Amino acid sequence: MSNVKNWQLKRDMQYAYDEARPKKQWAIVFDLNKCIACQTCTLACKTTWTSGKGQEYMFWNNVETKPFGSYPLGWDVNVLEKLGKQEWAKNGTYQGKTIFEAAPPEERAVHFAPTDDDWMYPNHGEDDCVGAQNTGGHVGSLPHDKWFFYLPRTCAHCTYPACLAACPRKAIYKREEDGIVLIDQSRCKGYGECVRACPYKKSMYNPYTRVSEKCVGCYPAVEQGIQPQCVVNCIGKIRVMGFINPPWKARKDNPVDYLVHTKQIALPYYPQLGLEPNIYYIPPIHADRAYLRQMFGPMVDQAVDRYRTLAKDPTTAGLLTLIGSTDRILHRFTVNNGVAAGFDERDAELVKVPVVEPVIERPAWDEKLETIRTNTP
Amino acid sequence: MRLFFSSLLLLATAAAAQDLDVRGVKADLSKDDPAAAYWNGVPEVNLSLIGQPMVVPRPSTTTTANLSVQAVHDGKRIALRLRWKDKDKSEAGPLGTFSDAAAVQFPAGSPEFAPPVMMGAKGLPVHIFHWRAQYQRDREKGKPTMKDLYPNGSVDIYPMEFPTEEANKGLTEKDQEKFSPARAEGNPQAYSKSGVDEIIAEGFSTSQVQEGHTSSGTGTWKDGTWTLVISRPLAIEGGSQLKLGGKSYAAFAVWQGGDGEVGSRKCLTMAWSTLQLKEGP
Repeated sequence: MSNVKNWQLKRDMQYAYDEARPKKQWAIVFDLNKCIACQTCTLACKTTWTSGKGQEYMFWNNVETKPFGSYPLGWDVNVLEKLGKQEWAKNGTYQGKTIFEAAPPEERAVHFAPTDDDWMYPNHGEDDCVGAQNTGGHVGSLPHDKWFFYLPRTCAHCTYPACLAACPRKAIYKREEDGIVLIDQSRCKGYGECVRACPYKKSMYNPYTRVSEKCVGCYPAVEQGIQPQCVVNCIGKIRVMGFINPPWKARKDNPVDYLVHTKQIALPYYPQLGLEPNIYYIPPIHADRAYLRQMFGPMVDQAVDRYRTLAKDPTTAGLLTLIGSTDRILHRFTVNNGVAAGFDERDAELVKVPVVEPVIERPAWDEKLETIRTNTP
Repeated sequence: MRLFFSSLLLLATAAAAQDLDVRGVKADLSKDDPAAAYWNGVPEVNLSLIGQPMVVPRPSTTTTANLSVQAVHDGKRIALRLRWKDKDKSEAGPLGTFSDAAAVQFPAGSPEFAPPVMMGAKGLPVHIFHWRAQYQRDREKGKPTMKDLYPNGSVDIYPMEFPTEEANKGLTEKDQEKFSPARAEGNPQAYSKSGVDEIIAEGFSTSQVQEGHTSSGTGTWKDGTWTLVISRPLAIEGGSQLKLGGKSYAAFAVWQGGDGEVGSRKCLTMAWSTLQLKEGP
């Protein structure tokens, strides 16, 4: 075991291999306040990558309703229960154990092994609301006592992947150029150790080819400067893919760095598991705070507060308008005079959008056509 | 810790567990027969196995503590009969299921030199014959289709595999394989097996399935016991070379699929058994 730095825990931790950060790290930021669980991302991924035999059940990208939805069944509660107490110090340092540290000597990580049945209900818990119907509560006041939210999930291409640590064949590797974690389809023997070890359950066994598969981060697109399928097909424009730096190398003009490190409104999910996952969430502001703290850690209150005041923060608001405005990967952004602009790796301008769309009022009566206008554009 | 492992290695390499006399029989060993009469007259050696202790992940308990082994040759092939207790027969298939399996390992270099017993080491290769109930099922009934694995599953269409002959015109298996990444990559795991995988390894996590097949394996499960015969030619080019009148080594591993054992989760013999190949029948 090696001692490695995990900035999400603000401390060092134990991992199977030495710290080896890639030159660039693939990352996605999701704004959970905007996700409507239309599953367009799920289908974009499905039709691109998993239409073959043995992949019928696979959703490398899925969207589940929290807290009751989960795919596979109970992936989150099962591993959290095995982890024991998960407490954070006042300064944000994680004091509990990671899945690596809590593992018995014969395992790389504490885990639960999903059964065939666990993979059969991808829509389990969909739209299920917390709070019984007869408690007298209503949704007309804040904070809501009835709540749920949607959680879109891909592989987090973790800095410390549990799948990679657990593979006894060393058939899983993390790419130096972009941090994407891949299962070598020519070497894997389908032992399913990655399926057991990944706490997010994003490695999946293909019973037809008898080897395991996982989200490939749409690397063929990423290599050409294009964002993954689940991102570019998001109709709600809730997600953006880019490259994240660790906090000590963070750049304020890098879109992902800005949301995660500078503004700190995007947080990793279940950071206490210890994988340093690289999908980040802007937490839903109306969901139960205790639940959010368990999922996103102690910075969630601050993130929610900052999100609520975005109207007074043109830079962040500008950056959020850039999300979904281009298929290309944004490496740099600027917000000047009410206009947000995004730039590619060679710093060529990709897109320019107004931070606030102009409001144009048209009278109901059209003088020229002598008719009543409808709202149809 | 390192001292512990190296002394463990020394122990495992130097000390041979038990001699295994390989007697000649008048039979055609190219046909595996776990119930053949010639096994009755062959002494059985009882070996102790323990849960694989070196590589994580590993079993938390020893699921298979005892393995009975017999060995015969017919002048051309050697056959080993392995018997062990396993409360249920597991052939794997659907998600989260694993196959019962067993493996016999020989030195791949000089037959009289014993490499490190746990899968050899760099420059000191071992030759492994890995049988799985799952692979035997492939041979007997064909590699399971998705319909075999999930009889109630319903799929409208698979890519490049259309319902009508006309629509499939000009399409080859290669076109379909693009949608099965491991097959497209030629991973032997993704194709139908013949019962036994022949593997060369030079240490943990280096095993490579070899092309071409000279060995075979047939197991029967009855009343909580597997009886398995693995046979192979005495001499295999590029691999284990056994000579009548000579000696070599063998080591063994067993997987209980029903207990989730696969890969490094296995029980094994911690020392080589010496093989003494007797001349003549």
